[in-house]
Amino acid sequence: MKKQRFILFSVALLFLLGSIALAGGTKEAPELEAVEKEVEEEELASEVKVYMSATRENNELISRLIYEGLGVKVIQHFMSCGEVGARLRSEAPRFSADMAINLCAAEAFEAKREGWAIPYISKEWAGAGKAFEDPDGVLTKLANYSTILIGNKDMLDEAGYTLPESWDDLLDPKWRGQIVVPSAVTSGNGYIILYSAMTLYGFNKGLTGKEAEDAGFKYLEALDKNIHHYARSSSTPADLVGRREFMLGMTQDAAALARIRKGYPLVWRAFDEGIGYGGTFALILKGAKEEYTCKKIIDFLGTKEVCEAYADLGNYVTKDPTVIPALYRDVGQLPKYITNLNEEWAVENKARLVTEWKERFLMKQEKKE
Amino acid sequence: MAEARELTRTRVVYQNIKDLFAAHTIRNTGGLLFLLLAIFLLWPIFMVLLKSINGPEGITLQYYKEFVTKDYYYRSFFNTLLLGLIVTPLCIGAGFCIAYMTTRGPVFLRRSLRLIALLPLMAPPFIFALSLIILLGHNGIITKALNLSWSIYGFTGCVISQTLWLIPLAYMMIENTLSTLNPNLEDSAANLGASEGKILRSIIIPLLTPGFLKAALIIFVMTVSAFGALAILCGRTPFLAPDVYLLITGEGDFNRASVLSMFLILPCAVIFIIQNYLIRGKRYTTIVGKPVAAEPKHLGPVILIPMLAVSFIACGFILLTFGVVGIAAFIKLMGIDNTFTLIYILDARSNVALTNSIKISLLSGLLGAMLGVLLAYVIIRGKFKGLAALEGLGLAGFTLPGTVMGIGYILAFNKPPLILTGTLAILVLNCAFRQLGVGMEAGIIKLKQLSIEIEEASLNLGANVVTTFRRIVLPIIFPACMYGFMYVFILSMIGLSAVVFLVTPGYELASVYIFDAAIWGELGIACATTIKLVIVVGICLAIIQGLSKWTGLSAAARRGV
Repeated sequence: MKKQRFILFSVALLFLLGSIALAGGTKEAPELEAVEKEVEEEELASEVKVYMSATRENNELISRLIYEGLGVKVIQHFMSCGEVGARLRSEAPRFSADMAINLCAAEAFEAKREGWAIPYISKEWAGAGKAFEDPDGVLTKLANYSTILIGNKDMLDEAGYTLPESWDDLLDPKWRGQIVVPSAVTSGNGYIILYSAMTLYGFNKGLTGKEAEDAGFKYLEALDKNIHHYARSSSTPADLVGRREFMLGMTQDAAALARIRKGYPLVWRAFDEGIGYGGTFALILKGAKEEYTCKKIIDFLGTKEVCEAYADLGNYVTKDPTVIPALYRDVGQLPKYITNLNEEWAVENKARLVTEWKERFLMKQEKKE
Repeated sequence: MAEARELTRTRVVYQNIKDLFAAHTIRNTGGLLFLLLAIFLLWPIFMVLLKSINGPEGITLQYYKEFVTKDYYYRSFFNTLLLGLIVTPLCIGAGFCIAYMTTRGPVFLRRSLRLIALLPLMAPPFIFALSLIILLGHNGIITKALNLSWSIYGFTGCVISQTLWLIPLAYMMIENTLSTLNPNLEDSAANLGASEGKILRSIIIPLLTPGFLKAALIIFVMTVSAFGALAILCGRTPFLAPDVYLLITGEGDFNRASVLSMFLILPCAVIFIIQNYLIRGKRYTTIVGKPVAAEPKHLGPVILIPMLAVSFIACGFILLTFGVVGIAAFIKLMGIDNTFTLIYILDARSNVALTNSIKISLLSGLLGAMLGVLLAYVIIRGKFKGLAALEGLGLAGFTLPGTVMGIGYILAFNKPPLILTGTLAILVLNCAFRQLGVGMEAGIIKLKQLSIEIEEASLNLGANVVTTFRRIVLPIIFPACMYGFMYVFILSMIGLSAVVFLVTPGYELASVYIFDAAIWGELGIACATTIKLVIVVGICLAIIQGLSKWTGLSAAARRGV
């Protein structure tokens, strides 16, 4: 009797789970154009699932270009860099996406180190230069992006202020509670600010190791007095400053340009001492259902068309040196970058530095709002 | 010959299965339901507990030690408790005032107040956070108009936002109890010379105590566990739910997130136990039965004016919120470039997210309603040990913080034997199992009104259990089924705290899409998607109600009641 009951339970349970799983397996019907393309190029899938972590505008443009160029629909899930890293950590070794595009350096190198990504050396990226090549072929460095200062023009005019010119100018008490910056925990730009400060106030002043790090933290602690709060993504400061919620912010150059194009009264500046930058990568996740299509996408991202599109978004120094990023076209030259910025060191030490940053800034006594 | 023998054997097996099913249907169904609840409610919570004590080198209390030794977590825990303790009485008070006005207040106001008060139940929880930024942010409409210099980002903003969001829920639960009170009691007291204040203090409020306590528990749990508005408005003030969210989404730190989750469950569990104890003590006051029609009482100004004032303020803010969000959905850049635009409304990705939400909510609604009424039937008609545990388990999903359930699902179903992450199924199951308690409770109430003699008569006349359930019980229980379906459907459409951890590429949901847009400061997209979500929920509810009328099931249900 017990056996019969068990069988009855099992059959009913399987039926229920099976029904739901079948419902879950139902994919959206691919659009007509995609189906037609699929017939022409049989190997390409009609859609791929991608974790994307740049700005919304950037992701949407790249997805559109891939669809127009390859006929592959990008089912994207947009998160900040740190969030994509956390997602990969929690899903490993079974990922819900086929690939990641616009992943920041620390997360990309973690994926490589942990064996979450598979190698693919793309012909399209051959000869792109040392800065863009991974000898193992696991990571494809798409470009670089930078973190700049933005301000609300109207608010600055009303207050009679001008945009700070240097990192030190940001420490002026007149900016108290008026600055929003991205969090180093969740945002790639937030982490760029952290290691930029260490390079500028530590390594470039002749300090080494812990001393250099402490000098950077000392600057950030002084800056923290003027910061209202740390945002989850670098896009948020651009919006908050654009909407007059706050006077100053630090953001990714692409996010700033996108808001300026939308009509926000934003002004921007690259600090006199230089600005920090970071790489952005693409990789194919282990177990990707559409591996071949992902490889084709990596190839496609290396075409001149995509490089120009990246540059037009405003922030990227692409593999093609003839293309000038749009934000800097008006000034006619690239901004000054912080010298001796060691991306490799930043990647290796991210977990430790972010933990310390969190303890020092996010977990400290809250300020009176 | 062999064929005939095979046929006979098949018939015997079929007959055996049929007999087994007929003889033990309720018990077997109960067992199956228990198994499902154990898998989809207990197992995820157990995994959270396990993760909180499981370090790289085995069992450890290191993460708990960290929690109790770091000042930050104390503040986070304290802020969370304080928020719950402030918001809960505010919501109960305001909800009671509106409920009093819609059941005993001026007749011409009742319908409008009810409609306005229920409107936020169709919108995502953080809609008030969006409107507060537009109205009271540094560049807010009210801030600028009154030249205010305060900040909405912080504890105060969170209190206002959570209170406004949860007043409708408090109202709904209190109104439900208030409308079942017999007005003759109040009339008798009035005839004996009791003042309105005295009647309120000594008759209505004591009789409503179980309803208040039940509402207080739900509101407290939802206040502390829903992180959407808190994440948008908290600034630098720490709360447990956003901390859990950031630990998972920002750092992938499941150990610490699990510890925080356990501390999130703790106050909810304590309040659940206290509430049960208090209700047990007051059981004699419980009112059952149908609403009794009576002439509306004329309320004096002492009661009417303050209650109307509270109702108007709450409903006014609700209307203002929807108005502001509605306008922002069609404005290019609110406060900067106020030209009309349709770009946010036409945003294609939000349409995809909405379609996903509808698909998942319909499936969750069906599953939740089905399981809810089956549970109710087993609990009322079953005659075996463990029925109380089954009922408690059915309600557990409802009283557990959504954040914890979201993490639990990732931990439980991202590895064999049951891999569900990255599928639509995990979203459907999470939504259904968390909310099925409502359909179950409604089903229990309905079944208590149905005499078992009718079912016994059906069985004596030769109908089996399944036929009896289909022909006798189902028409009676149908309103509960519909109620359960609608509840699960709506909460799945607007819910965020659990599903935010479970969405993957291809299964983006509207509520998560709105939350992300709000977090990134894209208010136009957030407001437009919110408006579309409210409209879609409204249309879906109208279609469901229309369908139930068209099929005649609702009429049958009414007859059954």
